[in-house]
Amino acid sequence: MISVEHITKRFNDTTAVDDLSFEVKPGVITGFLGPNGSGKSTTMRIILGLDRPTKGRALINGKSYHSLSAPLREVGALLEAKAVHPGRSARNHLLALAVSNGIPASRVDEVLNFVGLESVAKKRAGDFSLGMSQRLGIAGALLGDPPVLLFDEPVNGLDPEGIRWIREFFRKLADEGRTVLVSSHLMSEMAVTADQIIVIGRGKFITSGSVDDLTKNAAGTVIVRSTNNGELTKALANTSATVSEINDEGLRVSGLAAAAIGDLAFATGIALHELTPERASLEEVFMELTHDSVEYSQTAKEAN
Amino acid sequence: MTHTPGLYAVIRSEWIKFRSVRSTVIGTVIMFVLTIGIGLLIGFAVKGHLQSMTPVERATLDPIQLAMGGILFAQFAVGVIGALLITSEYTSTSIRTTLSAVPNRLRLVSAKAIVLALVIFIVGEIASFVAYFDGAAIFHGTIAALPSLSQGKTLQAVFLSGLYLTLMGLFGFGLGLILRQSAGSISTYTSLLLIIPILVFLLPSSWQNNITKFEPSVLGQAMRSTTGVLRGGTPVFGTWTATAILASYCVAAVGAGIILMSRRDA
Repeated sequence: MISVEHITKRFNDTTAVDDLSFEVKPGVITGFLGPNGSGKSTTMRIILGLDRPTKGRALINGKSYHSLSAPLREVGALLEAKAVHPGRSARNHLLALAVSNGIPASRVDEVLNFVGLESVAKKRAGDFSLGMSQRLGIAGALLGDPPVLLFDEPVNGLDPEGIRWIREFFRKLADEGRTVLVSSHLMSEMAVTADQIIVIGRGKFITSGSVDDLTKNAAGTVIVRSTNNGELTKALANTSATVSEINDEGLRVSGLAAAAIGDLAFATGIALHELTPERASLEEVFMELTHDSVEYSQTAKEAN
Repeated sequence: MTHTPGLYAVIRSEWIKFRSVRSTVIGTVIMFVLTIGIGLLIGFAVKGHLQSMTPVERATLDPIQLAMGGILFAQFAVGVIGALLITSEYTSTSIRTTLSAVPNRLRLVSAKAIVLALVIFIVGEIASFVAYFDGAAIFHGTIAALPSLSQGKTLQAVFLSGLYLTLMGLFGFGLGLILRQSAGSISTYTSLLLIIPILVFLLPSSWQNNITKFEPSVLGQAMRSTTGVLRGGTPVFGTWTATAILASYCVAAVGAGIILMSRRDA
């Protein structure tokens, strides 16, 4: 369980994270979603005690990161794949981490085998490809067999096979009852990976919920063209539907299924020329949700 | 996996890190080779010219300083080792991995400092004693003959040569903690050793002696001194006063580094 409580992080005059609160529960994969620069990495660094929040706090199973005596046994994290001394071998890198947390050296070989790096364990980490570095980072996160895991943009640099591997791996971790937080700027990735999603933009909380809930709420607009748009709009006003757009092309209706609109038109005696349900993809939902925050950031950049 | 790992676990971890990277290992070898090698070069170069020294030089001749001449070069190597021990973590961003494994900044810095100090101390002492015996052999029977280890402050001077290297390594480490960049830390360290004496030289001579005494390399010469004065007669601090002053520089630099590290984002 990870609890983020009213975290604010300011760098000079920019606010990277703005009064952000959320909880990450065990047993499910939680996607941490936001456009680039929305404060995901900063939030993760704060959870790991690397950055100090200006306000608020983050707790892991009720404890602050700094109070953990063997943190690797409680939290595993992959922040940046390349956060390794380039001159040190993969095995020595993991061994130094293990020893500092009282983890037996045999565990180093176990995790190296698990991520498939045993054959390059003695090679310098600086010579690793991005995909290999990601695997090394994952090995480091798993060293202490922790109940809580954080991954910042883990699919970056992985080939399709690696991506499938990592999705199955997250599923396994969650099924074992662990708390799994995975950040991404790609909604499509989260749609197939995560169970729960937390969306942030410009450092602010936007929404959270299950993947299904998020699509259900924003989905279901129907494009309607008829012989009498005016009459149809009147008729729709008596239902749960909302008409968001009226032009020569027709109406954009949300809140009522296409079949119900068709029945209504037939009952009112209006002939329909078009009835097209438009199911918003998760990607569109995400774009819509974060639209304001992204636009604001671009105007702000232009203003500078 | 039930015991709580403490400082000792972090020291073992930092030792693995120290020996598993080329730069620190090569730096330590260079420090060893410079201490002994430059001592030999100075010995052979100076030996033939001992008769041409001025009376003042002869009167203030401290043969131990000649034998320990390599320290003047090795002090740059230890500064680089000390600085790189921490700056390499920042430049590679591996500091984030390190701090997520050991969130206690004081414990991490202590473990790094202990590993650094132990390595330089052991290698530095061995190198210093080898340099002493080399010097003793070279200057045997000349006016610069080295006193035996049991005579006067000889043993102390040789021992403090190794300790000087240790303290300078810690000082470089402190600068690295504060500045977090390899180039900045190494150039600051080098400037303090080389540029400050030049600037001091431009000051009125009455100030010079008072300021010069506090320069790290002059404190080092005071630590190695068996006569209490430098060649040419420049007065210096007493041996232990000099050691204490240099140690206080290290404490100040590393202490400031720890405070900054706990305040700054990694």
